[in-house]
This record gives sequence, C-alpha cells and structure tokens, in this order.
Amino acid sequence: MKQANIRNFCIIAHIDHGKSTLADRILEKTGSISKHELKEQMLDSMDIERERGITIKLNAVQINYKYKNEDYYLHLIDTPGHVDFSYEVSRSLAACEGALLVVDASQGIEAQTLANLYLALDNNLTIIPVINKIDLPNADVDKVSGELENLGFNKEDIILTSAKTGIGIDELLESIVLKIPAPKGNVNAPLKALIFDSVFDSYKGVITSIRVVDGKLKTKDIIKMMETNATYEVLSLTINTPHEKEVKELSSGEVGYLYASIKSLEDVKVGDTITTKDNPAEESLPGYKEMKPMVYCGIYPIEANRFDDLREALEKLKLNDAALTFEAETSKALGFGFRCGFLGLLHMEIIEERIEREFNIDIIATSPSVIYEVLLTDKSKMMIDSPTKMPDKSVISKTYEPYVKTSIFTPKDYIGPIMELCQDRRGTFINMDYLDDDRVTIYYKLPLSEIVYDFFDKLKSATRGYASFDYDFIGYQESDLVKMDILLNGEIVDALSVIVHKDYAYKRGKTVVQKLKEIIPRQMFEVPIQAAIGMHVIARETIKAMRKNVLAKCYGGDVTRKKKLLEKQKAGKKRMKQIGSVEVPQEAFLSILSTDEK
Amino acid sequence: MIKNCYIHIPFCAKICSYCDFCKVLYDKKFITNYLNALDLEISKIYNNEELETIYIGGGTPSSLSYSELEYLFKIVSKLRKTSDYEFTIECNFETITEEKLKLFKKYGVNRLSFGVESINNSNLQILDRKETKNKIITIMNVARKIGFNNINIDLMYAIPNETMGVLLNDIDFILSLNPEHISTYSLMIEKNTKLYIKDIKPINEELDYEMYKLICSKLKKKYNHYEISNFAKRGYESKHNLCYWKNREYYGFGLGASSYRDNIKYTNTRSLTNYISLKYDYYNEIVTKDDKMSYEMILGLRLLNGVSKEEFRKKYNLEIEDYFDIKDLLNKNLLIDDGANYYISEDKLYVSNEILLNFIR
Repeated sequence: MKQANIRNFCIIAHIDHGKSTLADRILEKTGSISKHELKEQMLDSMDIERERGITIKLNAVQINYKYKNEDYYLHLIDTPGHVDFSYEVSRSLAACEGALLVVDASQGIEAQTLANLYLALDNNLTIIPVINKIDLPNADVDKVSGELENLGFNKEDIILTSAKTGIGIDELLESIVLKIPAPKGNVNAPLKALIFDSVFDSYKGVITSIRVVDGKLKTKDIIKMMETNATYEVLSLTINTPHEKEVKELSSGEVGYLYASIKSLEDVKVGDTITTKDNPAEESLPGYKEMKPMVYCGIYPIEANRFDDLREALEKLKLNDAALTFEAETSKALGFGFRCGFLGLLHMEIIEERIEREFNIDIIATSPSVIYEVLLTDKSKMMIDSPTKMPDKSVISKTYEPYVKTSIFTPKDYIGPIMELCQDRRGTFINMDYLDDDRVTIYYKLPLSEIVYDFFDKLKSATRGYASFDYDFIGYQESDLVKMDILLNGEIVDALSVIVHKDYAYKRGKTVVQKLKEIIPRQMFEVPIQAAIGMHVIARETIKAMRKNVLAKCYGGDVTRKKKLLEKQKAGKKRMKQIGSVEVPQEAFLSILSTDEK
Repeated sequence: MIKNCYIHIPFCAKICSYCDFCKVLYDKKFITNYLNALDLEISKIYNNEELETIYIGGGTPSSLSYSELEYLFKIVSKLRKTSDYEFTIECNFETITEEKLKLFKKYGVNRLSFGVESINNSNLQILDRKETKNKIITIMNVARKIGFNNINIDLMYAIPNETMGVLLNDIDFILSLNPEHISTYSLMIEKNTKLYIKDIKPINEELDYEMYKLICSKLKKKYNHYEISNFAKRGYESKHNLCYWKNREYYGFGLGASSYRDNIKYTNTRSLTNYISLKYDYYNEIVTKDDKMSYEMILGLRLLNGVSKEEFRKKYNLEIEDYFDIKDLLNKNLLIDDGANYYISEDKLYVSNEILLNFIR
C-alpha cells in the first residue's frame, strides 16, 4: 500500500448529530458493505452504546475508494463521543491526519463538538467541516454555516450532506482524498506504532488497534511496548474492511489490529508506542498519559452471597476497560463490596448498568466521590477516595479538592440561570466567548465534586436542554472540607457519609435528611435521621412509626388475594437493605446526591 | 368434613361507590335463572354433610323479591344443618321488609347482618348510600319482635373528610341499637370502584389509626374484641367467619364465590352469563401443606386469641416454633406466647402485616 494513497481520518460530532449514520453511508457508498449487511450504526457494537447513542469503544475500518482511476485506502477511525473518554479521543485523533467535523443542520455546534475540535487542532489535523441532516425540515444551513465560519472555516469548504438520504457523500469522499494529507512516516525507520485502542475478546485475548507511524510491523515480529516494557510475538495482523481480513504486514501510515498472546489489558496501554525488540525506536511517540480514575464509588451486591459474582463481573469488565479500577472494601451498613474508580460519571453509570444487565446482579452503588487530598499535621499527604477513609479532624492540617475548568455552550438566553447554577456550585467565573450573536461559551472553574452530583441534570433543566458542557481537570486547590455523617436511629451509616465543603454542609445535610425521610418507608418504630459533622448534629428529620399495615377485612373470598398481597410486600422487603433495625431501600444510597431543597 | 357454607347473591338495588365485591344491579329477568344455576351447583358439589353454619351474603340478598327469596330458601333447605347451627343472611335497610324478615324466620335464619356503615350525611354521600336512620330503628324493633336475637351491624370508617366527631356519632348510634355483633371496615379504595375511578384519596394513616383506637376503646366496654375488625357480645362471635380465620374448609356457592375443599381453593366465575350457563369454576389453587401452615398463621393471628399451639400440632404434626422462625418476633414482643397460644397484642394488630410477613415462606 502506497503511503501517498492512504488517508487516515476520524469523525468529530455531538451525540445524535449523525456520526454513525454517516459512517454507515460511507461504507455503503464505497461498496465496503452491501446494503443488506448494513445494520443501523455498524460501528457501534455494544447494546448500551446503541441505546444511549454513544460510542464507547473505538473501531477502525479500512475503506477502498477509487478516485480518478487511482485506488485509495481510507481509514475511518471511530472515536468515543463523551467527555469521560477524552483521553481515548485524543489518542485516536493522534492516529489520524484529518477529521470530519460533523454538525447537525438543525442543532448547530455543541460544546462537546467544540472540545473535540480543539483536541483535533491540537493534534494538527486537517478539518473538513460537514453540515449533516440537511434534509430535515428544520435544518438551518445558513445559520450553522455561519457558526462554522465564526470558527474560522471558509464557507466554500463546508460540505452539505444528508447521511440518511446519501446527499453529498460523493463530494465528501472526494474531499477526504483531496484535502486530508497522506501520512508522512519513514518506512525504513525503526518501528513506531501508536496504540489507540484495545479490547478484550474472550476467544482471541487482547486485540490492539494500532496506527503504524514509522517502519513496518510483520507477523512473528517480537514487539515491545515502550511504556510497559512488555514483549510479545505478533501472532497475526488484521484489517477491518469491515470484514476481518488477515494481512502479512502493516507499514508506515497504515491502521490495523494486532494479536499477540496478551492476557491482560494492563500491558496494553492506550497511547503507548509499540516498537520491535531487535530494532527499537529511540523515542516513543509523544502524548502518552496514564489514565486515572476521577470518580469513585462503592458497589455492593444487594444479596451478600453474590459478592464473588460481583468480583467476577468486575474482573470481566476490566478486561475490556483498563480505566476501571476496583478493590474490595467493607461497609458496616452494606457488608462486602468494592471501591471502584471511573473516568467520570458516564463511565460509572455504564459500568453499573452493565453489572446489572449483563451479569444480573442487583447492586447498591454509594454516592460517587472524587479524590480529595489531605495534608496531615505530620506533613504527610493522603489521597482520599472514600469518605470513610477521611482521617480525624484533629490530625488534618489542610484539605484540597480537585477543580475542573468547565466550558458550557449555550444560547445566550440562558446565561443568567447558568451563572446562578455555577455560583451555587461554588464556581468561579473565568470568561465568556460569543460564537455568534446568539450563542456563547461560558467558562467556569468548578470543584469536580459539584459536577459529580446532579450538575448535568440541573444544567439541562435550567436551559431546557439547550446547553451542553465539557470539562478539563485543572488541579487541586485548598478547600475547607468536612466529613458529614448520616445517622439512622442513632447509628452512623457509613455508606451514606460524604465529604462536603464546610460552608455548604448545613444545606446539604438538610436536603439529604429530607430526601431520606421521603425514601425510607415507615417502620414499626419511629426512626430519627440526622446529619452530623463529628458529634455536632446539623440537620434532623423523623420518620414516624408505621400506623397502619393491616388486612383490615379478610373473609372467605379474600383469603387468597390477601396472601398474595403479603407475598408482594415480602418481595418488596427483599429489595431493601437491613441497616441496624431499619429497612432501607436502594434509592436511599443515592439520595445523598440530591441537591433539591424543599 | 366440611361444616360451613357460603352462598352468594350478587344482586343489588344500587351500587355503592366503594364496593368491589362481586355484584350486579338487580334485574328481575336474571334472578330465576341465577337461582336455578345455584341449585344445580349445590346439588353437584354438596356432599350432604351436616352444616354448622350457612351464610347468605352479597350483593344484597334482601334485594330479592319475596317470592324470589322463597325460591332461594327452598334451594337452601336442601342443606342439612346441625342442631346448634348458625344461619346468617345479609340485609340492607332499604330493601328489607317485615314480611321478608318473617320469611327468614320461617326458613330457620337465626342471624341477621345489616350494613349500616354510617349515618352521617357527608359520609353517605361519598359512599353513595341513602340516609335510613329512622328506618333502621324501626326495622331493628321489628326484627327483635319477630325474635331475632343475633344481629350484626357493619360500621365503616376512615371515609374521606370524616372527622373523629362524625365517627363518634356513628359509633354511639350503633351502640344505641344494641346489636350482638359489630363488624368494622376501614374504607379501602379498591381498584374498579367508583371511588378509585374518581381518584378519591384515602385519609391519612395517623387519623385512620386514631379512629381504629376510638372504635376499640368505645366498643370494648360492651363487646369482646375478638378479631382485628370484629366485636361481639360474649357467645355471639360469628361462627361462620371463625371458620375462615381458623383455616377450615368451606363450601362457597354462587357467582364469584370461593370455596375451600379437599385442599383446593376454588373461585367461581364472576361472569353472570357464564354462571347462568353453568360454567361455574374459573380459578383454583392447590394448597400444599406449606401453604396451609402459612394460612393457618396469617388467618389465625387475626384473632385476639391467636393460634392454638395444640391445634396446630394436631393438624400438622409440627410445632409452630419449629416450622417458623419466630424467635425474633417473640424477643421483640411482636408475637406473644401465653403458653397455649401465640397471638399479636392488640396494640400491634393495626400493623400486623409486618408480623405476618414472617409466616410467608
């Protein structure tokens, strides 16, 4: 394959702006796939992805395209579409020379799209702006093209498409060939290949997606991962057309999959550089970063005897998800479970959902926590990923929490409510950029912990769904943090403890006890709910004792029905967790997230 | 050996807003066919046992005309009775007459059950019932004169908007009638009732419980509180209903009626058309020994006396405490052991479901 005839590109788009449909249409137009093979959204393979319209794992496909009697090889590299996976996005961008910036003709540009566009520009990619869904009745091509022009694109470079009907796809393919530069690697240099994704397949082991930058990679080569120093023999190399096809070698500029007998994803880190053992490259490719969890929560099986099943589920999920971390932990309230680390909230939700759905384990997830830093009086430092690990006040000298820079992209009508929300969440205003007369990006510095709660929901409701947001970790900052405990019937429920800013503790405490009062059903006795910092109670509510739970009348005809009613009540109880003498429903453990005041 | 029999008369002169029993509006053209079908059902299933109790319920049995009632009693006469039998018929004051009462007497009815529910106008409006206070007093006198000395009155409470004062007035009125037995009903808004369709909300739990306490304290002066919702002068406890609570088998004839025979619970069809064309049965449930023991406790613990350890042992060859895990309940005083019986103390009866759940396996 001539390097000059290779084009490596990806698609940058907001969820639902038609990325996957566009990919499908390109595959179809180039004859890579026949119409009857075409499932909706060919590139997304997991059910949850399809349901949520998010691409979680990457995928790369080679497309043969004839232009002016010349054969071209287009590699379409799919990128994940959510902020939690921005590092993975940046690595797959690094595997490309160009990107299609796809914007929905009726929706316009969104914050996420902008964020990924900037990532692409950082990676020196050539961008082809595309306005998609131009067939929609509410498409406003002029407005969207104005937005693109404001971002510095020329109007005549914008390609108008409808992935649904196929309009503009030919033009798009041509411009990929004409505008996106061919790779410029040195075929004769020592091997440098970028790992931009890896997945675990239960039959084949770890499958690594790679982009060869310099040199050649052949089967039977002994390769070395430059970051982890792991060495393996290459068993086979394949490309995806999107039918899997074995190849003898991949050389500079090419994209493909590598199989070796790798058993653990730990050895194959996204962003790492592969070279050969015999003729190693001197330097690895730039940009490698260790992926670190940002958000932690406890995951517990509702039925204690499913602890081992839960461990197995997490182990299996981890095979496909190197960013997931977990270690066993014990809670007085919830028993044995795991402290799990995630890249972000979406990542957390996806894992929780997969445990319940794919492994059929009912779980309780405790409220998510970020990692706090604590400087102790003896000058040593502690990283706190769980409120229960917070040391006693007396030995704490200073506390720090992670901050992020958020960019919120919104129609200008909602600036007020957004600023109010950010202010309320301890945000500091940075600045504001107008994209055009109507739309604006607001930048705020916010504690990550404030986003972990219901920030996104609140943002959506404050802007009737119009705003989108994105965030970047910017570092730790000193903050007056305290641990707030929740007591049920006088006993601390460790799984409900949270770390909060001191000035906001009273408000949070009040909201949480109110919420718990709503969620926890009446018991045979009165149950006080208290929020406390140390010995100091800051909020209190009481669940009144149950007064009536009786089959008031029961005669001949009622007997069977009444027994069924009791059976139903009993089944309801099974879904609750007994904490001390109080029966607590699952939702209670998330109530701590609630910030709605009455 | 079955000793108890229920007979269902599904016809009513009008439909009350809260009623989810099996009933249809009275329509002359169906009655004879219905009674024919009932006659056939009885002769098909009844094994000629001597019955200790017969209970004609509804619907409103008293809504049938004199001659229809006469036909009904002729059918029921085929059932053999023990010498100390109890024979109850449900009536309402709107449809009952002196002649009908005399007819009941003639055919051996010795217990009447009247649905009074309430005499308060606001309550009656919500329940879709008519004010009959004076008629009640007259009929009670007539019934006494004819010689009925075992009369039950139903009292309903926890009706939307009801106050403690309204309830107190209803209780006093019922006490002034001096019935032998009082059944109380906390209003349940069941699906498929007018109240449910109108989206009427139940009163709050606290008030409901206060009302229950008021009823118990008022009635206990003259009556024995013997079941969660039932009160009787000594010796006048409903023998028929005790058969349900003591988990005994029984016949049930008529539309939608349930019976419990040879370890199977049957429920008849609720479709009048099917019933009249002799398609009776539509649902049955086999009661295993485990189910039976569950029922024994769930039903028996409705009684203030609770469940007799000895009777349980005789019936199932097992000790209650060996079969059910009741240690925790006993420790928490949710279940009380008086040596002979296990029972739920009166102050816990209104939350007894929490306790009964422990007997569901």
